[in-house]
Formats: sequence, structure tokens, C-alpha cells
Amino acid sequence: MSDFPLPRIRDFVRTVVPFNTLSDEELTRVVSRMEIAFYPRGERIYHAGGPPATDLAIIKSGSVKVTLPDDLGGEILVDLRGEGDCFGAVSLLQGSQALFDVTAREDIIAFLLPAAIFKDLYSSHTAFHRHFSFSLARNLQAVRRTPDQGLTLLAGGGSLGLEAVLKRSQVSELMTTSVLACLPQTPIRAAARNMTNQRVGSIVVVEQTGVPVGVVTDTDLRVRVLAAGVDPGAPVAEVMSRPIRTIDNKAFAFEAMLEMIRHRVHHLVVVEGERMVGVLSDHDVRVVTGAAPVGVMRDLDKINSAEGLELIHQNLDPVLEMLLRLGGSAQYMLDLATEFNDRLLLKILELTELEMEHQGRGRAPVPYSWLALGSAGRCEQALRTAQHNGLVFMNVPAERASAVKDWFLDLAGRAVERLHTCGFPLSEHGLQANSPACCQSEAQWQNAFSEMIREAGQCALPAAGSLFDLRGVHEEMAFAESLRLYVSQAIEDNRHFLARLARVGPHNRPPLGFLREFVVEKSGEYRDQLDLKVSGLTPLINAVRVLALEQGLTVTSTLGRLAELAKRGILQERFAADLADAYSFIVLLRVARYLEARGAGHEPNAHLDPASLNPAQRKMLKDSFTVTSELQAFLEQRYRTQNAA
Amino acid sequence: MNFALARMRNRLRRLRLKNRDLPPLVRQNLLALEQVHPEQPARSHRFVVLDLETTGLDPNRDRVVSVGALRMVEGRVRLGEVFDELVNPGRDIPVESIKVHAIVPDMIAHARPAGEVFEDFMEYVGTDVLVAHFAPFDLHFLNKIMKVRYGFSLQNLVLDTVEICRSTLLTPDPHGVYMDFKKCGLDALAERFGLEVPERHTALGDALATALILQRMFLHLEQTNRGTMGDLIKLGAVAL
Repeated sequence: MSDFPLPRIRDFVRTVVPFNTLSDEELTRVVSRMEIAFYPRGERIYHAGGPPATDLAIIKSGSVKVTLPDDLGGEILVDLRGEGDCFGAVSLLQGSQALFDVTAREDIIAFLLPAAIFKDLYSSHTAFHRHFSFSLARNLQAVRRTPDQGLTLLAGGGSLGLEAVLKRSQVSELMTTSVLACLPQTPIRAAARNMTNQRVGSIVVVEQTGVPVGVVTDTDLRVRVLAAGVDPGAPVAEVMSRPIRTIDNKAFAFEAMLEMIRHRVHHLVVVEGERMVGVLSDHDVRVVTGAAPVGVMRDLDKINSAEGLELIHQNLDPVLEMLLRLGGSAQYMLDLATEFNDRLLLKILELTELEMEHQGRGRAPVPYSWLALGSAGRCEQALRTAQHNGLVFMNVPAERASAVKDWFLDLAGRAVERLHTCGFPLSEHGLQANSPACCQSEAQWQNAFSEMIREAGQCALPAAGSLFDLRGVHEEMAFAESLRLYVSQAIEDNRHFLARLARVGPHNRPPLGFLREFVVEKSGEYRDQLDLKVSGLTPLINAVRVLALEQGLTVTSTLGRLAELAKRGILQERFAADLADAYSFIVLLRVARYLEARGAGHEPNAHLDPASLNPAQRKMLKDSFTVTSELQAFLEQRYRTQNAA
Repeated sequence: MNFALARMRNRLRRLRLKNRDLPPLVRQNLLALEQVHPEQPARSHRFVVLDLETTGLDPNRDRVVSVGALRMVEGRVRLGEVFDELVNPGRDIPVESIKVHAIVPDMIAHARPAGEVFEDFMEYVGTDVLVAHFAPFDLHFLNKIMKVRYGFSLQNLVLDTVEICRSTLLTPDPHGVYMDFKKCGLDALAERFGLEVPERHTALGDALATALILQRMFLHLEQTNRGTMGDLIKLGAVAL
């Protein structure tokens, strides 16, 4: 029998991640080694500490809860698994004993794959390895932490799965509370002695009221006291570093991580209200995050040659992947990637300017700003998608104009090329700083925008849309800000433009058919697939942009715009939240697919086969498209009525 | 059915047939009941759950067109040990039955005749306990061939899931006034247990549905302290 006699069972297994990566032949072979088991509601399938699993179970119907026993005889919910999810993998791979209690919440029908076959797949298929090793690492880490401090960590986070729990760990759970502190008027000598006695490298300076005002480190003592010849009897307030970076004790570990990355510090003072309650080090955070995103940023800062840059960007992938596996939000991921990309760009500009100087091209003749456009401008370039950028420089007298422009075009050309070698493809629309239209003086940019807004009908609006998401990255003057103000003003004077921009949207509907089935591509290379970017994200981003421009919002990110629109009452709060969820979900899905493709050695693209999603994902994606359609309808309504009036 | 009696009859038959020249397969079949241990948990036995599609419902005139079966060991259905074959009935297939099983004459044009398929099936079954929904119907067709070929019936223990369900799930109804029969149909039971049965009305699909129902019955009987093979025999064995 070459064909599997129960095709529907095979079709079901085909939808299960990572079995979806198997070839037909392998799938048939694997499925024919499976057994169907039934577990009644309430049955404890595995006992924590009991014998390990002998099979990998794929849930066909019903759901199980994965729990850990706690000290009080109760249980801590680690995860819920439903149709299309697996359980048993961790103890299968880890081997000696079951690590969690697994209990049927409903009657379960499960397909069981014998351990040997599973281990075989695990070692021979990257997709299996990646899928299961992450949950393995995560779960094991939690278990290791259980005896001492892990329980509060797990229990503190709510109920939606271990990964989410880790993501939700708060600063207050991770920080060190025994912090060496002193008052501002404490003599330097006393503070130093105290640090020596406690064997710590820093002391936090706290006012009588408990408000932290600064910090004194070993380095401060060396540089600002000894080297500067300050009297050791002087109060520490005179030599302390400030301002200090603080973080709220209720903030999440991820936010803390981001703060550290942003400000390039390794410690944050944790405050409750204004009072200091503890200190958080990057080490504390790393305990939760496992990898070290802070380190990736540090590596980037250390690079001094163009060659080093080309490779560094690949280091971002593992970090994104980690965030994804931890159930990190789209916002964190985008923030992190933006931070990384901006740093990369700054580094490139720094190196390029230096290079030009060495080659006798001289320094920048006038102040300039590098403009991030499109997804980079919206702080949403999580993936290495095409670069959209521009350059604005100070207005110069006509006789110098061409020389100045030449210099900046040279700079832009080199920078764009470097970005290209770092993995950012060139723009299809020519929206790049090295094209003369995108490398202009402030006045020229203003003209370009005026013209675009005045003659919206004639210009290519879809591409122009990303021009309006401009953001200054390397800012020697506040060009970006003033350009944005200028654009708001111009739009204010010409409301007609927005109506036109709004009408671009409806040509680009989310791919949902009449019966809320996905509409996939009918032919070509991506037959039966959805384009997540063009049909999923773009309609949403465009519609939100129109409203943002209407309101003259300064924030450029889609999520930021949505929040602001809700605050101003333009969108109902609930609706805005739904849209934010939809946006986040599609972004996460896209990032996940991208990383998967890269991991498997394929060229990533934005296409996705809806059949490869699990039922929950499918439903979520449909809901996302539906809510986007609602936004488009809202927009049409808004501008039709405005036009009529 | 009295299992002790059945086993005694089986032993007598073995004595009678002692000197006859029988193929090893048939010899093995004669020992099937020896593998059944009434005092042990039903779950620890090996079962073959089967379903036949036929040209109609008349046991005398109609023929088998398809055989589907799955093996169940330790309460788990083995997807890799599946028997699934079309049978050439040696006569035309009535339109009425095609509507049920969707097997059209073209499909069985190259199928083997019942006798050949039966040999393979017997080897597949071995000494396992046979289970079917409305087992007497399926058993009738199997035994017809068995008797023609070897002169006696299959010696395996045969269980009927209809009987097991009727005697455990439904209120006693000795006079048949509640029409319990319908409540024990495959569809009704699948719905009752919330089973989503793929490939219903193919022999293998129906066998799978039956196997999943048997899984539920194991549990139900274990929970009501009737988990031994002996209990199961009392509830649903078909007379040998």
C-alpha cells in the first residue's frame, strides 16, 4: 500500500507544526507509525517526577493542561495545549522523568508517535529540532529554577503558558533588593569604605525621602575623585553620576532589557513611585531571557571597520527568534529591531564620513539628517526588507548647491551600498538616499512635499505613502521634525489630499472571500498562498497613516498611531485595540515565517500558505483581516461624508 | 454466551480435526480462544476491529466488496497495522449499495476475489479478538467463506460493539419499545462520544469509528468495575 489508507488523518497531521515540513512520503511513513489513544477528562496522563513519556502525543481533539505541583499541594499552570498541539516532547528528549503533570481537561483523542521515530525526526530534521529544542530549553530552565525562586516567578505571571509567564516576569521579581545606598551629603571617603566593605562596585545615592538621585561607581572614584584631586571629605553628591536610569518595579523584564539596550547601561535603579526599591542588572534579566540581546548591541558598538558590520546583522535573528519563542509582543520586537537598525545605520554613517574624510572629500559641508522612510520610518523594520531612506541637508546658497549635493550623494551612495551588503535590499521605488530626488536640501524637500500634496492625483501615491512615515535617524538638526510640521501644515491647507490618499486603500483589500475564506493567489510561483505584507499589513498601515496625517500626529509607528488615535477619540478604544492586535499578530506571523525560512536555508518571502497554519492561527488571521476591512470601511465613510460636506 | 462452553467446543473440534491436514494458518486459528483470558483486563488483549462493505443487506444473496480493519493493542489503535482492501464480489454492485459505500464497478475491476483476500485477512487477524459493529452480519460473511474453504467457522472470539453499548449505555428495554437499535448506530454513538469520524462509510473509516467507540467502552467498563475480558464477553460476545 503506497498511499496511506486514512487520508484525513494524514491531512490533519500535515497541519501540525512542525510535521507540516515533512514531505508526503515521510509524512505517510510517520503517520503509519502512530497510534490513536483516548484519555478521558481528568486523567493524569503524566506525573511530574514519574516515568517519562514513551510517545509524542499530538492532540486531535480536546485539550490538556501542563502544570507543576506547588509547595501547598496546589498546582501552577504552565501551559494549555489544544487541538494540533503536542505534549510529551520535553520528557521524551530529556529522558529520565516527566517534568510536568499533564492532565486531560476534556476527553482527549491523541495521535501518539513512538519515541524512537520522534527522536529520529528530531535529530534529522532542522524544523523538528528548532521547534522542540526551544520549548525544551524554556521548560528546562523553568524547572531548574523551581526549587528556589522559580515558583514565585511562575506563579506571578498568570496562566497563559510558561513562555508567556517568562515574558511577563516583572522587574520586581528579578531585582536585587539589598542595595548599597547612601545620602547625598555622605562624605566620599565613607561611601568608598562602605563599598569596599560590601565588595560592590557602586553605591546608589538616595535622598532622605528614598528618591534615588545618582550613583557613584569605582570608575567615578578613580576619575572624578582621585584623578581630579577632589577632597575625599566632600559629599558624594559632588562626584556622583547622574541622571540615573530608573525603571518601575512593575515594568516587565523585557522593558528593562530594552531600556538597558537603549541607554547602554548594565544597571537600572528600580523605583516604586519615586522611591528606590532595588537594582536590576543585565545579568538578572538574562536569567529570564536566556540569550543576551544586550550583548548583541554591545558588539555592534565595538565595531570599527566596515567589514565587521556585514556580519553583525545576522546576530539579530537569534535575538528576534528568542523574543518570538518567549511569546514576546510585536512591539518589543519592533522596538528592538529598530534600535538595532538605527545603531547600525549610525555606525555606517560614522564610518563612511570618516572614510570620505580620509580620501580627501572633506567633512559634511553643512548639517544634515538621515531620514528613515517606509517601514524603517515607522520603526517597524523587524526584517531585512528593502531600504527606504532619504537625506536632508541645510539650505545652501545657489552657487554652492551642486557641490554640496554632490558630497551628500557620495555619502548616501556609500551608505546605501553598505546597508545593502548588510542585507537590506535596494528599494524598488528608488526611494533611496542616493537618488537625487531623495537627497535634497530642506527647501527642496518642502517643495517636493507641497507638490505631492497639491497634485495628489498625478503622482504615484502608493510609493509616496512611505514618504509620509519619515523619521530622522542621524539628526544634526531637527530637519525631520520641521519637515513633518511643514507636511501637517500643507495637509491642513489641502484636506482633499487625504481623501485621495484614503482612496488608495480600497484597491488593496484584505484577502477574505465572501464566506470569510482566505483568498489565495490563483497562479504563479505563490499559487495558493497569501502575501502577508501586501494583502495583510499594507492595507492596515495605509489606513492608519491617513488618519494619522489627518490628525497631524508626530508618532510614526502604526501601533503608536493607533494608540494616539484612540486617545483622541478618532477610533473607539476597543476598535483600536483590535486593530493593534491584528497588526501585531500579522507582524509576529511574518517574523516567524521569515525566521523559519532563513533557518531552513530558504530565501524568505512574505508569502504564506494558509493551510500551514493551525486552526487557532487561521482564525486569528481571519479576524485580523476582518478588522482591517472594517477600518477601511470606516475610512471610506469618513472621507465620503467629508467630501459631501 | 458461556465462554467455558465455547472453549470446550473449541477443544473438541481440535480433537476431531487433529489428524486432518490443515494449513498452518488454520491450525493457528483453532488456537485463538487460548489467547483469551477472562480474568485479565480486557485492555491487555489484542483486538482487530473490522468492517465490511457489501453489495446489500441480504446475508444470503449479497457479497463483500471491501474489507477494512485496524488493530488495537493496549487500548491504542495502530495506524500502521491496517487492513484495507477492495474485494471483487463476482457479481454486479447494486446502485443502492453504491450510494452507501461509493465503490463503483471500475474500482473493483482489478480487485482480488473474496477467497484470496480472506486468506490474507485471516493471517492479519491471527488469534486476535474480532470486534465489529453489528458483528453477526460481518461474521456471517466471513464464516460463509471459512466454511466453504475449511468446513468450520472462524474460531476467534467475536465481540459486537452494538451489544456492548446496548447493555451498558442504555436503560434496560426488554420489549424494544424505545427503539434502542437506532441509538446504537455508528452515527448516533459517534455523536454521543463527540467523535469526528473521517472517511465514514468506507470499510476502514467505519472500522476506525468502531475502534474509537470500543476505546470509550473500555474506559466506561473499567470505571464501573467491569474491566475484565470476562465482563466484556458477558456483555457482547457473539455465539461461536
